[in-house]
Amino acid sequence: MLYREAGQFKASYKEDQQIFPIRQDRIAIALILAFFYLGVPYFASQYWLQGIMIPVLIFSLAAIGLNILTGYAGQLSLGSAAFMAVGAFAAYNFVLRVPGMPILVAFVLAGLCAAAVGMVFGLPSLRIKGFYLAVATLAAQFFIVWALTKFPWFSNHSSSGVITAQKVVILGYVFETPEAKYLLTLGVVTVLALLAKNMVRSSIGRSWMAIRDMDVAAEVIGIRPMHTKLMAFAVSSFYCGVAGALYAYTYLGTVEPEGFNLDLSFRILFMVIIGGVGSIMGSFLGAAFIVLLPIFLNISMHMLGDWVPQGLASNLELIVFGGLIIFFLIVEPHGLARLWQIGKEKLRLWPFPH
Amino acid sequence: MSNGRQIGEVILDLQNISLRFGGVKALTDISFDVREHEIRAIIGPNGAGKSSMLNVINGVYRPQEGTIVFRGKKRHDMDTHEAAEAGFARTFQNIALFKGMSVLDNLMTGRNLKMKSNFLLQALYWGPAQREELAHRRKVEEVIDFLEIEHIRKTPVGRLPYGLQKRVELGRALAAEPKVLLLDEPMAGMNVEEKQDMCRFVLDVNDHFGTTIVLIEHDMAVVMDISDRVVVLDYGKKIADGTPDEVRNNEDVIKAYLGVAH
Repeated sequence: MLYREAGQFKASYKEDQQIFPIRQDRIAIALILAFFYLGVPYFASQYWLQGIMIPVLIFSLAAIGLNILTGYAGQLSLGSAAFMAVGAFAAYNFVLRVPGMPILVAFVLAGLCAAAVGMVFGLPSLRIKGFYLAVATLAAQFFIVWALTKFPWFSNHSSSGVITAQKVVILGYVFETPEAKYLLTLGVVTVLALLAKNMVRSSIGRSWMAIRDMDVAAEVIGIRPMHTKLMAFAVSSFYCGVAGALYAYTYLGTVEPEGFNLDLSFRILFMVIIGGVGSIMGSFLGAAFIVLLPIFLNISMHMLGDWVPQGLASNLELIVFGGLIIFFLIVEPHGLARLWQIGKEKLRLWPFPH
Repeated sequence: MSNGRQIGEVILDLQNISLRFGGVKALTDISFDVREHEIRAIIGPNGAGKSSMLNVINGVYRPQEGTIVFRGKKRHDMDTHEAAEAGFARTFQNIALFKGMSVLDNLMTGRNLKMKSNFLLQALYWGPAQREELAHRRKVEEVIDFLEIEHIRKTPVGRLPYGLQKRVELGRALAAEPKVLLLDEPMAGMNVEEKQDMCRFVLDVNDHFGTTIVLIEHDMAVVMDISDRVVVLDYGKKIADGTPDEVRNNEDVIKAYLGVAH
């Protein structure tokens, strides 16, 4: 009843090409943004901000990065965590070695470093596709983690290879409280998500999808596969790199190369698959799902209390987690974003059956 | 076929094209030309090398021997990007649309080559990038109008029935405002009404925009009706070339293709 575009006539192509063409969507987005910018820092506890909201946002950003590469450009990658590591260590070194380096500039430079590395590891995509490419990107995953451990210069010769992120200072303001760090992360993620949304609805995004859906036809239209694929690797790695920098600076504070292992790459891939391949919105939903579900399961296991022995409870958590993922993929292989879409279609008709 | 259009000079001249895949000879020493504004049909039995011929013309395949002269420029083979920039657009025998994208986006992708704005501006969706997007949208809407597919412009092409997908694919090729349109069996698998529609569109494109059309088609009635000149291939060799009437009465063609009464 409420979610109808009836009566909203578009009188120009400009109106029709808006980022959110339906008025209700615009209102919803405005409300969501207002809630996360004004409501959450006010209500949420320190634990919620630092332990849940910040990682969800950071993983959303990494998932957007992987979604650009896998969901939009169709290039499977298992190296996202490694590109996050590049971002984290690059930001650390820029702040450490360049006096007076503004932190946001360091984040951008870190993203660019990750983009450059991503392009190098994207070169195999010009020759190989699908699962074979995924295996080739595994090389990035192992090589980068190895290189960051092997050469102590990257971690400023710290004996354990662990780096401690410097204080985040912007224009003299120190971001120390969880609220401040949360707002900083939210700001970066909002801006980058908006840019990603714009990219995927412009000619660059259409080239990515064209290469994904039918590469011969795309070539015949005049899209250059090399340029397009490497661009996707660069943009994707940029997003992962910035996510990595945020991971070090606003979430964990101290990180080591081993923290960015294959496990993390897989988690990001799961976020994309569960959230929705080829959807910016889905990246957020997937990240929230993968971060929140274990916490939720943990709490519900504790509620069962003495009922379930401790050892069983922690394993049960994993079993339920795995089971839920399989259930989701069977019920809706296109992910949460698709469910959201279906919900919206239903709402257009509700409460009438047709 | 008198619709007032003037058939011009030769714009595409293929000379002695030979294409092999390992030991298989797909095309052997084929020469023919295409004149500006004409409808040129390529016919032949299955496996005669018709699609390979189109693939050579727009650079998907590189022939081992031969010369391609397009608008006076001589080259050994085409490059897909170069061919697209030179004004070639095509459709495929088995529909090659971008299934995950809407009709509108498919058509917009057809204009990708003409979109020059910088990628950072696209990310900001601001100023020149937005103006460019809107200008191209206007052009694409003209094609949508022309092909009468207004009602499905926002539908993902994967959901459309076969006949409409064929039409959308023609639209994507038209969106590029091509000089030469290569159509690979545009009417295959269609019912009579759909064929009639498609014929009308092909003739209209030729008539209104003066687009040169190279067409592969199996429906003889259609070919003989709409094309100006026909080239006949069999087993990778050219066996006849001429107006529909000449071809129809050529003995080799009758033997190889149209069938002889025993």
